[in-house]
Amino acid sequence: MKACCSKTVKSDDRPGAVILLMNLWAYPLLVLWTLFGILISPLFFAFSRLILGWPIHRIMRWFIWLYGRGWLAFMSPFVRFRREQMGVIKNDTPCLFIVNHRSFFDTYCMALLPVHNIVYAVRSWPFRMFWYGGYMRLARYLDVEGSSWEQTLEQCEATLAENGSVLFFPEGHRSRDGELQRFYSGGFKVAISAGVQLIPLCIDGTEQLLPPERKLFRPCRITLRALDPIDARLYSEEGGHIRLRKEVKKQIATALCAMRDEASL
Amino acid sequence: MTEQEVIERIDSSLAEEFELDRADMTPEANIYDDLGLDSLDTVDMVIVLEGAFDFKIREEEAVRNIRTLGDIHRFVLEKVTQNS
Repeated sequence: MKACCSKTVKSDDRPGAVILLMNLWAYPLLVLWTLFGILISPLFFAFSRLILGWPIHRIMRWFIWLYGRGWLAFMSPFVRFRREQMGVIKNDTPCLFIVNHRSFFDTYCMALLPVHNIVYAVRSWPFRMFWYGGYMRLARYLDVEGSSWEQTLEQCEATLAENGSVLFFPEGHRSRDGELQRFYSGGFKVAISAGVQLIPLCIDGTEQLLPPERKLFRPCRITLRALDPIDARLYSEEGGHIRLRKEVKKQIATALCAMRDEASL
Repeated sequence: MTEQEVIERIDSSLAEEFELDRADMTPEANIYDDLGLDSLDTVDMVIVLEGAFDFKIREEEAVRNIRTLGDIHRFVLEKVTQNS
């Protein structure tokens, strides 16, 4: 789907010194923060289990969310994070999030969400990152590529039943050109089957943070906007997932255009 | 249902499900290289065809050998003929 924006965001033209400083700051801190997280995790789990009594997978989702919050904090001198319309997300209402995908760091930015009990539906390769994979499994993230449709649906419904939410990147891959790609149907079928609210999320700006084929972070503005919830039960007719998918894609495309126009002002 | 009607139903179902451009949907088109489907889509493709023709094919070995749109046409035509 091509953008309908009247304006496009200009690429960042900050001096090289700022970019150099940002990378000297962000990369080492990312490594140190990850190592710190790995070292502290056993203690964190033990204390959380003792004090909160939550099951391990829920503690793990909280831990991952806090890890993301830390990343947001140390990136914030160079990146302006903004979140919009988060009031539509209720802590006590499980839902299915559908998010556009522009960067590897989109997942980190999900720490901007006001809820942390979220299961991410991802492909198989992120589970192979040895420093993250174990945590993802403990959090019961969904390997949609390595599981059958029935297993995926069962796991999603189990998560939603215990008040967790599920998050899908329906494009499957990062967009290389910033435009929305084809949407896979899986997340929409889950929402209809489980009869939960679907909340579209739009993320803009992460493609500027680390553009495709580049190695250096660049200062940017990142905005995460939640759109109004959609009742998936209204799409339960035969082939309703296609109607729901088209509706959500249209809403995300329209919102992204508006966000880009606002960003370029 | 004629052969042409079966092919039309296959193509329209797949185009709708996978947001495919009908102009690209030639019998020679490789579903992975030319139409851009991938491993995640294979499961959905089976579900779409089962829904469109009211048969069960997910356990069939032949599904794994499908490479082109023409392979899908032949496979479904064979199944439809068997079932009729």
